Amino acid sequence: MSLVRVLFYLMSFIAIASALYAASTKNLVRSIFVFFVTLFALAGLYVLALADFVAVTQVVIYVGGILVLILFAFMLSGKETLDVMQQQKGKFLSLAKLPAILLSVAFFIVLINVIIKADADNLTWVKDAINLKNTIAPNDVMIDNIGVNLMTRYLLPFEAISILLLMALVGAAHLSRKEGSKA
Amino acid sequence: MNYYLTYFIVAVGLFSFSAFFALFGVYAERKISAFIQDRLGPTETGKFGSLQTLADILKMIQKELIIPAAADKWLFMLAPAVIFIAVYMGFAALPWAPGLVPSKINLGIYYIFAIISIETLGILMAGWGSNNKYSILGAMRSAAQIISYEIPAGFAIISVVMIAQSLDLQVVAAQQGVLSAEKIKFVGFWDVTNIGGFFSWNIFRAPHLIIAFVIYFIASLAESNRAPFDIPEAESELVAGFHTEFTGIRFALVFLAEYSMMFLVSMIGVILFLGAWNSPLPNIGSVHLATWTTGMGWGILWVTLKTLGLVAVQMWIRWTLPRFRVDQLMNLCWKVLTPLAFICMLISGIWRLWLM
Repeated sequence: MSLVRVLFYLMSFIAIASALYAASTKNLVRSIFVFFVTLFALAGLYVLALADFVAVTQVVIYVGGILVLILFAFMLSGKETLDVMQQQKGKFLSLAKLPAILLSVAFFIVLINVIIKADADNLTWVKDAINLKNTIAPNDVMIDNIGVNLMTRYLLPFEAISILLLMALVGAAHLSRKEGSKA
Repeated sequence: MNYYLTYFIVAVGLFSFSAFFALFGVYAERKISAFIQDRLGPTETGKFGSLQTLADILKMIQKELIIPAAADKWLFMLAPAVIFIAVYMGFAALPWAPGLVPSKINLGIYYIFAIISIETLGILMAGWGSNNKYSILGAMRSAAQIISYEIPAGFAIISVVMIAQSLDLQVVAAQQGVLSAEKIKFVGFWDVTNIGGFFSWNIFRAPHLIIAFVIYFIASLAESNRAPFDIPEAESELVAGFHTEFTGIRFALVFLAEYSMMFLVSMIGVILFLGAWNSPLPNIGSVHLATWTTGMGWGILWVTLKTLGLVAVQMWIRWTLPRFRVDQLMNLCWKVLTPLAFICMLISGIWRLWLM
């Protein structure tokens, strides 16, 4: 096996194992920190897929931003609330969780089906790209490509997201205002 | 196989460099603080007290590792390692001389920016894992401060990247001296491509980058939790902040991370703004000072000297200015530095379009 393949299986294993631990543990804070391992292993998988920009962005946004914000919310809430949340009744699998189990199993079947149906080894567009030599080498600089595409082909989704973020900002500013000062 | 062996040697080399720098840094910090406060500093161990930090680290290695009974054991034990590794991984993309860089990544600066933000997570881990009110308060303050100051620092970096048109630190470095492939203009009008020296540094190529540099420097002080931004470990309020409960080698790792972080942020500042490994001496007529003093050995010398200079300024500031209050800290970040950084980015765009 080549080194890349070993690394791929290693990263996938870490990602899946840590995700399972994050879902099953009862200690909420630990689950968040293990989620960090999952995200980091995913970033590693992106690097193996030559999507280094996506990998670094994943670390910036999820690890540096979202995870820290979750932890913040966590540490600002009182210990009593957290204790109540952590004392879930029953085991990991129980009859009360039947709808959740059904839903997740159904989704899992759909995903497996998609992977098998897609037949990733003989996709026509991948073969065309290889024939036309339209492929990426590990040393290529991809940022220019991403930038140009964001500003031309994907301009509308890009602007839509920026408006969504602006709305979130306005909402946050409104919520954090002092009560009583009507304006 | 030799290929991978080189990587290991480079990694071990960088680690021993940061450990050595921490030893030297603590000694320098003590001597500089003593000079500023009109004291003598360490004098007993070795000549001029030069072996004091070595004695300290020997003491720390021998100490017992205490885990508080109520602590979350795993988080508590892993936190110092996460804090240090986050900083240490940042060193991978920093160029030391022409052609000498541990890892050639074309996303260099973006990668460093991402990997440093993991330190916040380590600090929160330490704070929560200790199960101590002071630790958690220190960790919260530290995380709030680092997240806020990443914004002006990020925009200051973007304004350089817009001028340099590359995220690869080696490319940014090469543009600021006689080895540059493209034309360099001092303050936008005087062609200094063959003159080099300090004229071709980024802060003089586009003078608004001086403001960006000051913004970056202030923000980097906050990101490495140095005074006047050291409220996460304010001794008078929080005992020692997030590392209150750590003993022995774990405490040493937290300290090592702090000093490595000082060197890392200073070196990024040097590479982006102050000419990286390029010589400060210009070519004058037939006296080719810049060409003579550019090369592998010279590069390492210049980058180290400039970085140590910035580290010295950090220490000078620490022992001169009093600590900020939380509200002053946030006011400075959001009402002064962030708008200024935005203006710098705007000017960078105009500069690139019309003057380069």
